[in-house]
Parts: sequence; C-alpha cells; structure tokens
Amino acid sequence: MEHIIIIGGGGTGAAIAHDLVLRGFEVSLFERGELLSGTTGRHHGLLHSGARYAVHDPAAARECISENKILRRIAPQAIEQNDGLFVALDEADLDYKPLFLENCRACGIPARELTAEQALALEPELNPSLKAAVQVPDATMDAWRLPLHFYATARANGARIHNFSEIIGFSQAEGAVTGIRVLDHQSHREYDVRGDLFVNAAGAWAGKICDLAGIQLPIQPGPGVMVAVNDRLTNMVINRLHKAGEGDIIVPQRKLTILGTSIWLADDPDAVELPKDHGPRLIELGAKLVPAVKKAEIHSMWCAVRPLIAQAEAKDPQEISRDFDCCDHKQRDNLEGLISVIGGKATTLRLMAEKIADLICRKTGRNIACKTKTKKLLHYRMFY
Amino acid sequence: MSIKKITFRILRYKPGLIDPPQFQNFSIEVKPDMTILDGLEKIRLEQDTTLMYRHSCHHSSCGTCACKINGTESLACTTKIKDLKSISITLAPLDGFRPIGDLVVDISPLFTNISEDWSYLKNSENVKSSQMPEGIKEFKRFENCIECGACVSACPVTHKNKGFLGPAALAALSNELKKSPPKAEDLLSMAGNKNGERLCERALNCSRVCPTGVYPARHISDLHRVLKQK
Repeated sequence: MEHIIIIGGGGTGAAIAHDLVLRGFEVSLFERGELLSGTTGRHHGLLHSGARYAVHDPAAARECISENKILRRIAPQAIEQNDGLFVALDEADLDYKPLFLENCRACGIPARELTAEQALALEPELNPSLKAAVQVPDATMDAWRLPLHFYATARANGARIHNFSEIIGFSQAEGAVTGIRVLDHQSHREYDVRGDLFVNAAGAWAGKICDLAGIQLPIQPGPGVMVAVNDRLTNMVINRLHKAGEGDIIVPQRKLTILGTSIWLADDPDAVELPKDHGPRLIELGAKLVPAVKKAEIHSMWCAVRPLIAQAEAKDPQEISRDFDCCDHKQRDNLEGLISVIGGKATTLRLMAEKIADLICRKTGRNIACKTKTKKLLHYRMFY
Repeated sequence: MSIKKITFRILRYKPGLIDPPQFQNFSIEVKPDMTILDGLEKIRLEQDTTLMYRHSCHHSSCGTCACKINGTESLACTTKIKDLKSISITLAPLDGFRPIGDLVVDISPLFTNISEDWSYLKNSENVKSSQMPEGIKEFKRFENCIECGACVSACPVTHKNKGFLGPAALAALSNELKKSPPKAEDLLSMAGNKNGERLCERALNCSRVCPTGVYPARHISDLHRVLKQK
C-alpha cells in the first residue's frame, strides 16, 4: 500500500494516522517536539455538543454533536461525561434563547430548558440571579489523553510515530512532492524519507510547512488565553447563553476550573506572548457565570494558538468559521502529492481525519471505507 | 513590567553527541509571571531549536513536563520562575528512567504496573447539587494522578530495587481498590507481593513532590493496613 507521511503530531495527525492504518496504508508521522505540544494539548478540554455553534455555524454544530456521540463511545476513559449548561444572565440572553433552542433542535443537539431554580439545583455555584438555563450534552475531555488514545491505537496498528523529528525541507520532482528531509533532534542527524502522499497537519504551523514547499497557505494563527483556577467549582460545563464571545466558557476538569477564552490574530504561531490584560478579563467574565471564580486562587494561565482559516477581509475573529477544509495542493498550486488540513477543532478530529483519508483514497484510486466511527480506541496507557 | 535576566543551567544529553550529559547555561530575559516551561520555550525558539523537553497542556493536567528543578521533581508548567527566588535555575531530567535526550526520559516503565483496566475516572467529590441533570447518575471526574513520574523519580526505593511497584502504581492500585471491590483479591495480591507495598521505606518523598496532591505515601499506608488485617 502507499506510504503516507503525516506532518504534525497534534490531534489531527493522531486521528489521520489512526484512520489511514485502519484502511491499510503505510503511515509515518513526524512532529518537531513532543506529541500534542502545539495546540491540541493546551485546549481547555471542551468536548463540544455543538450548541455553541448552533446559531452562527450550523454545519459545525451538526459535526460536533455527531462527533461528540462517537468520541464518548470510542474513548470513554478520556471524557468526564457530565453535560453542560448554557446560562442566561440578562434580558438580552433571554431574547437569544428561542433562536438558540430552535437551532440546537434543527442541528439534532438535545437541549433541555431549565428554570433558574432547576439550574441552581444542579449547579449551586451558578450566579444566583440567573434567568434561565439550557442543558446540552457538552463534556470535558482530557486534551492529552483523548488524542493519545488515537496514537496508542494507530501505533498498535502499525503507524510509525516520530516525535522530536522536525521537517526541514521537501524534495520535489516533476511538479510533485516526493520526500521530506527530517532533522532528528535527538541525534542531530538529517535524513530523507520518501513517501507517496504527504499530509500537512501542522495546524497553526501549516503555513510554515507550506513555506518549505514554496507555496502559500491561508492559515491565520488565532491565539487565545485560558486561565485555570484551583477548585472544581462546577461539575457541568458552563456557557453563557449568548452569541459566541470572549470569556463565555467554564470547563471543570479534575480539581480545576478552566476559564476560556480570548481571541486575537497573530502572524507567527511561535511568537505569541500572553497579553497581560486577558487573564483578569477572563476572570471578570467567568465570575458573571460562577461568582466563586473571583475568590479562587489562580493556578495557571497560558495561550493556545487556533489554526483559523484566513479571511480575505478583516472580520471579528469570533466570527471566523471553526470549520475545516482539506486542501489538495495539486488543484490549488499545481503541486502534486501534498495535502493540507486547514482549520478545525479538537471535537471534530476524527471527522477531519475521515475526510482527509477519503481524499487520499480518491487520489490513490482506492475504495476503502472508513472504520473509525465504531472502532473503540485502545486506552491511552497502551501508548507506552 | 520588570524584566530580569536569568540563567537556565540545563543538563544536556544527546546520545553519542553530548554524551556523557553535561550542563549548558542559557541566559534569558524573563517577565515576572513566566514559568519554567515558558523559559524553556523561549530558549528553544531563540537559542537552540533542538532543546528537548516534553510539554503539552501547560496547566498540570497532562503530566508530561515533570523534571528536576533545582534538584526537586516539579512540573515545569506550573513552577513560576520568580517563586524559585534564584537567578540561576538548574534543570535535569527525572531520575530512574532511561534518558532519551536533554530533559526527556522514557516514561513508559511508569505504566508497566498501572493497568489500562483501572479506571481513570472517579466519582466527583463534595457534590453540593440537590438534583442531578437528566441522564446523569453521578458526576464523574478524572483522577488526580497525572502520571508524571515525579514520585517515582523521588522515591529512594525505586532506584535500589527495580522490581518495586513504586508509588504511582501503588496509589493507582489503591484508588482502583476503592472503586472496584470485586477486583479486591487480585489487587491486594499484587499490592502484597514481594515487589509490593512492603518495600516502601516511608521516606515520603513521593507525597512531598506530587504536583497534584495524590499523596501516594498515604495510599501505601492504606494498603499496608488492609493487607495486615487480612
């Protein structure tokens, strides 16, 4: 079978490796640092129900609910399955509710209306002046262990996973990519690997990988800040019931409560520094939903860089679609053999991989069905 | 914002290249709230792209970034530079694991005695809810142990006796025992075997270095008590 090279050891790379080996391809994956050290692992851990996208991005919402159900089945040990609430705090939030409910239902997302009293009975730390709430099947994933389930399974099925192995160049012949040059950070040795197809799954770094191949990719790094406070203040995921905005999500995890998130646009995913004012702003906004957030001790504050699809015109970064695209550079740049994954999010990693693997099947003239929807993943501990 | 110059003294190791390991100094400018991990990222991006260290979540959930910071096992992601109150910070990999490169070790032996059949989820404690959401019987959460290896590195017994199950596995075993009573016989026979809790010397280093409050020594005492009663 064809040898497929995956560039980037994040969640997307993990799921692509898993899908491709199940379809019988030979797979090698290369990551410049530790696996999941770019964006995936730093994510707040929300397993989306899709409700957050239901109003402004119903396609993404439908994908989320379908993937949410699948991941709960195939990797139950990596998910705290406690559902989530969308909480209305003022009249404007209440005005948004009918549209929200209607869109959740249209997207197939179970949404159960709750009175303020009912919501407080479930989560006593909620702002006591809340107006209403909606229960949806959000959940918390372990952002390291969930994708590690994919790596464990991919490796057991024959994928070769190389961390600390940086791609420093491509070899090309007759308008096609034919190989990669790898710098091994352990031995400092440079070596070439030949392959039949190359998948750029470097996320926010995918533009840098395309630079190495002499082509451009419309990736816009979109960093965001997250704050973890000590104490598990809720058990359910808490969202503000309004249009997607800053600081409207609280994700409990282990003994922590994680507050997300801000967003801005950056040019270089490596040169992102934590803006001083974002943490205090997230605490301020989070405390509107769960007042105890303000009294809790700050545990840590960090950035993660989203791989957004670059927009032709300036746009509110919150409005940029969180959908993903697979880009065949044969069509886009007349360069055969290279495919890039653009955009995407942790909840839909499996689906992104399915679409990439479908494209690889089309390009290699093979007709092999995807098997990842029902295949239970190996436990992450099997990776070791 | 005050910017300070700090020296990171990192034990470098590259098999066949920097072998045996030797310290290398990196001088960096740091801002007040930077963590050791932020410092490592800065060195990698500005001074040596081949500096090897593990990291993922940046908030003490994944457990990958444990190393020895000024001689003590800690997480690089939640250790703030300013809290070390030192202008020179020494970083070395965990002890007792096979070194791979720089601060990276092969952590896989940690999992030899932690079965994948032992649940990583438990019931959430201190639940103040007067009702449960429809469709949810009990709130669940991940275990505190992030499987970082700090306790194993700090344990004097694991270095003398390679067979010792070690503090991480014994703590995980003790948690599983509480969650799955039907497995008690097997679990206790493992805990009570010649490589089990009896080898613990009560140094308590494991509980001192654990970054997430698992207190493995307490679990080992619990197992000791249960086994004695048998």
